[in-house]
Amino acid sequence: MTVFHFFNCAILTFGPHAVYYSATPLSEYDTLGTSVKAALVYLGTALVKLVCLATFLKVSETDNFDPYQELLKALIGFIDVAGLYFALTQLTHRNISQNHKFQAVGLGGLVKTLNLKLQSHYLTSFSMLAGWAFADSVLHRLAPLWVGARGLEFTWDYLLQGLEANANLVLSISLAALGSLMWLRKNKPKTLIPIIYACAGIVATMPSITSYLRRGLGWQFPKVVGFELFTSLVMAFISWQLFSACQRPSA
Amino acid sequence: MAHRKARERDMLDSVYSMLALVFILVACVELCDAATVVDVYRLIQYDISGVPFGSRLASLNHHAGSLHFSPGADLSRTVVMIPVRELNISFVTEYVSRKHPLGGMLFLLPEIFRLENGGGGKDVREKEVVKNVLLELEKLLVHAKLPYPVYFAFENDEIDAVLDDVKKNDATGQPATATTGGYKLVIPIAEPKKVASPTITNIQGWLQGLKADGDANQLPTIAIVASYDTFGAAPALSVGSDSNGSGVVALLEVARLFSLLYSNPKTRGRYNILFGLTSGGPYNYNGTHKWLRSFDQRLRESIDYAICLNSVGSWNNELWIHVSKPPENAYIKQIFEGFTNVAEELGFKVGLKHKKINISNPRVAWEHEQFSRLRVTAATLSELSAAPELLESTGGLLDSRHFVDETSFIRSVQLVAESLARHIYGYQGKNIQIFADNSSLAVNPSYIRSWLDLLSQTPRVAPFISKNDPFIMALKKELADHTDEVIMQHEVLDGMFTFYDSTKASLNIYQVASVTFDLLLLLVLGSYLIVLFSFLVITTRGLDDLISLFRRPPSRKVKTA
Repeated sequence: MTVFHFFNCAILTFGPHAVYYSATPLSEYDTLGTSVKAALVYLGTALVKLVCLATFLKVSETDNFDPYQELLKALIGFIDVAGLYFALTQLTHRNISQNHKFQAVGLGGLVKTLNLKLQSHYLTSFSMLAGWAFADSVLHRLAPLWVGARGLEFTWDYLLQGLEANANLVLSISLAALGSLMWLRKNKPKTLIPIIYACAGIVATMPSITSYLRRGLGWQFPKVVGFELFTSLVMAFISWQLFSACQRPSA
Repeated sequence: MAHRKARERDMLDSVYSMLALVFILVACVELCDAATVVDVYRLIQYDISGVPFGSRLASLNHHAGSLHFSPGADLSRTVVMIPVRELNISFVTEYVSRKHPLGGMLFLLPEIFRLENGGGGKDVREKEVVKNVLLELEKLLVHAKLPYPVYFAFENDEIDAVLDDVKKNDATGQPATATTGGYKLVIPIAEPKKVASPTITNIQGWLQGLKADGDANQLPTIAIVASYDTFGAAPALSVGSDSNGSGVVALLEVARLFSLLYSNPKTRGRYNILFGLTSGGPYNYNGTHKWLRSFDQRLRESIDYAICLNSVGSWNNELWIHVSKPPENAYIKQIFEGFTNVAEELGFKVGLKHKKINISNPRVAWEHEQFSRLRVTAATLSELSAAPELLESTGGLLDSRHFVDETSFIRSVQLVAESLARHIYGYQGKNIQIFADNSSLAVNPSYIRSWLDLLSQTPRVAPFISKNDPFIMALKKELADHTDEVIMQHEVLDGMFTFYDSTKASLNIYQVASVTFDLLLLLVLGSYLIVLFSFLVITTRGLDDLISLFRRPPSRKVKTA
């Protein structure tokens, strides 16, 4: 029962990453190297975040929502965004030409534009994204899964964690898309710029929003996971729309 | 192209070896994160001359069930949780006598029987109901051979919640097995091993009497003996407050009183007093037998008489003196008259019971019989009117602190002390109270209470007490405080009885989901991933690509053809 359950939860948590990698054109272009590099960048940002958290935060005894602590955590969360920016701009797939590098974007390409065989544009961001999200998932969730899901006792926690991992994947895809829109696209329609930045802001501060919900309002874990799933789908949809809106002028 | 394929193959190889390592690690499943952990106490496991009795297994790993199972259900992989309050003894009798296969039994005792709860007066009514059930249950379990683990546990909130859940599940008619989920009870413990050479320790204390100058003869001796070990269905719970904790405490109090008298040469009597705390009581008074054999002839002959104490703590208005010499014997008459006179003054009756010894029968029902077999006059003072059977009235599950009635116990101590003192100082028949209340020689209730409390929290089954057990050391120290000379005698318990260890364990209760749940989940996840895969392929590469994924083999054939 135990190993089976661990296997199930592992599939739920890490399966979508593998599916994402194999379903999109990544696998044909040997982008594993870029994914690994992105994972390493994620590791670097995680370490930097750890150091900052340890230095600036104090450990709270109670489980209450402390606005200042959460604000600090959100600020440190922006280091995440900085890391993503660094990865997007610095790490490129070698085979893409100079001009394609700046057109590489995130998930927004789920549109017929991809059918126009502009796949190479997206290789960088896709592969990098896959590496980033996978590293995030593994570092955060593998250890608890290993220790907890193998025991005889059955709880719903690990399945909920897997769903949370899926939501996080979608969220980071949207973040990458919005990030690419912000920094790599040179010609953006003026009206959409504030919306782009607003969405990017929301997605970036998602961790603090969820911890506020959990501690400040006292929501139960299933409710929080449901909320995360819902917002991730909404965000993905919005970024898709934004992406296609920005695509139209250039297409 | 070839380079890439080679690199891919290398990568795959390393991945396979990592997977293999992962599977090896995964094979060791941890069991330490249970929802509930409870202390449980195992039924005793012993052999008498090779015939096995008690529960023969210790480790447990089965699903939990309750008494509400559907008749005819297969319980061979279920542990039945039985609260003693609702126990119908015929169910257990039937299961034991018909030797139905069972995964295990877990009896839930009411909280008031916990060792730490001394004397709870509020639940007396509850105790009465449970008392008879427990007595019968204990007798049944101790004399039966059960090829599955049997444990006792105390009720608490968590176990009650689990039991309610299990009852609800059983009521729907589905027994809990691997495919339907429920609760799993796990006790990870090694197989029980024989206790090699179980030791019994006899402690004796000697109070020297006053030898007049020019008196060459040995002073006569009076012996007071009590056995201190117990035997019960759950050896880790056998504290035997009445059988024979009361005897031990009475002996210690009498020793204390006489040591006060004997410390001053003016009040020292012309008798030696020998105090004996013997072990091996439930096993035909094996310890007493070995103790007496260790005496030399002169000492044995100098013993005037011996009084053995057996369960004097919970009687109402009558005590009994049991003898093996016929009541017409002069010595017996003297002893009995002495006791009756004191008893009358204290306000109760003492009866005399005679039971002949059968030398060929190895069964020794009373401690004085061991003395009588060596031709020493002896009698047993007890509240029991009939001789107990083998392994009966030896301090079982029921015999806890609140079973002892302090007022009647203090009267027994007064009876013993006063009768002995009148014999020693020659005041038979005279109305002089040596240990009067409110005098400096009164029986001390707080002394009695503290020793009774200690005894009620110490399980004392002889094979599980080592030579240097702290309790034995405490008894030795206490006797040494009151007597002149203390000798400890270590012996090995007779070969007729063999005991097995593992008397206490921790029970882990897990809530498990069924295998069907896991399979269903796998199915759901598989279809989710497939849907995700096709969704992504369709949107990134188009529907044609998805279809071409399935049509690749035929197209290759076409190519080669």
